[in-house]
Amino acid sequence: MQELTNNALMLKVKSGDLDKLGLLYERHKKRLFGFFYNMNSNASLSEDLVQNVFVRMLKYKHTFTGEGSFSAWMFRTARNVNYDYYRKNKIAFNKSEISTVEYKLEDGDSIEKGMNKKDEISVLNRAMQLLPPEKREVLVLSKLKEMKFSEIGVILGCSEGAAKVKAHRALKDLRTIFLQLETR
Amino acid sequence: MEQEKFEIWMMEYLSGDLDESRKQEFENYLKNSSKHREEFETVAETWNQIDALEVPEPSKMMDASFFDMLNSEIEKKENKKSNWFVNLKSFFDPIQTPQLAFGMLLLAIGLGIGYFLNSSPFEQNIQETVVSNSTNETEEVREQLVLTLLEQPSANKRLQAVNEAAKLNKANQRIIEALFFTLNKDPNINVRLVAIESLARYVETPEVRMGLVKSIALQDSPLVQIALADLMVKLQEKTSIESMEKLLEKPDINNTVKQKLEQSINQII
Repeated sequence: MQELTNNALMLKVKSGDLDKLGLLYERHKKRLFGFFYNMNSNASLSEDLVQNVFVRMLKYKHTFTGEGSFSAWMFRTARNVNYDYYRKNKIAFNKSEISTVEYKLEDGDSIEKGMNKKDEISVLNRAMQLLPPEKREVLVLSKLKEMKFSEIGVILGCSEGAAKVKAHRALKDLRTIFLQLETR
Repeated sequence: MEQEKFEIWMMEYLSGDLDESRKQEFENYLKNSSKHREEFETVAETWNQIDALEVPEPSKMMDASFFDMLNSEIEKKENKKSNWFVNLKSFFDPIQTPQLAFGMLLLAIGLGIGYFLNSSPFEQNIQETVVSNSTNETEEVREQLVLTLLEQPSANKRLQAVNEAAKLNKANQRIIEALFFTLNKDPNINVRLVAIESLARYVETPEVRMGLVKSIALQDSPLVQIALADLMVKLQEKTSIESMEKLLEKPDINNTVKQKLEQSINQII
């Protein structure tokens, strides 16, 4: 079977051939799941959010022009889905996500209970979750397979250069949190 | 060098965006700048560590709920299409005057003749090609759907898959193999029975006939055994006698099945 590009498939969905969304789902479900999982560390919530992305892609299929990258369009939708989820569940979000690193680190006892200092991956995972969501997001996106910084710029609504600077600074912040957690 | 420019350059290096010469240039730059080299080493270490973060596999439930959602959207769309004629009829309902109706009829006939005269054989060819292309694509998507649904844990989904397979105009090797796998291994009897019906459409192919014959001896459900025996009688497939006799030799064979098989063997001979 000749493989259609993502853009061609999505244009078919737009013209009413909804079956093609199944092929797009098969191609991208793992990447989307990985994006959400790295953002919230919750597998079942991530599965729901992946579903929401495809529901929204169907709902707003008329906005897809076929110009530019399909991945960028899809991840912009994913980002909005993630943002809307936390906006709607504001109370839960405020309880589990704290906006500044300093504040989070004050809550040291509960952090210490949940992690094993000898386990680097576990510490790094914890450090990722302590990063502010917008910084975590740029790192998760830049680590996705086949994702280019030009696309990340489109997703975040900034230039390619700005996306690189954001990723770099997020990395440095992650490093700082990681070292602080390790020395505790 | 400006800090921001260096940050951009470093990210390009780490993400593999640089070509070989720019990469070399970056490495040479680091050799001469101890401050930036130190910064690079710490940041690069964290960048590489991120790869070790594990992401679990999404569950089968995610696939099931996605395809449920997609199927219900497709159904909704098809229902909308079928309502189109009803809507059109209700649109014309208020027209009571016969003259107006007659006028509209004449207009429709006029348009029809105009369209007929305008469509050249070349255009018809194009239309036929477009139709055949879209039929091919529908077939491909249906094949994908069948293969995906056959792997679902829900028996209903697998039933749906086998029903979808029956709608294919031509089945390829992958579909036939998937149907045989279902016939011989599926835990649900209903799914296996429907798989027999689907495969019966391709009995002109010798491999399918052979597969069905072999499957007789593999079945443990009386209903499936009887359905296969009936099919063999219908096809007058002599090679199936051996498989049926093998099944008859099994000590735990159901009495009804035993009678049915003996009767079937006599009918084929």
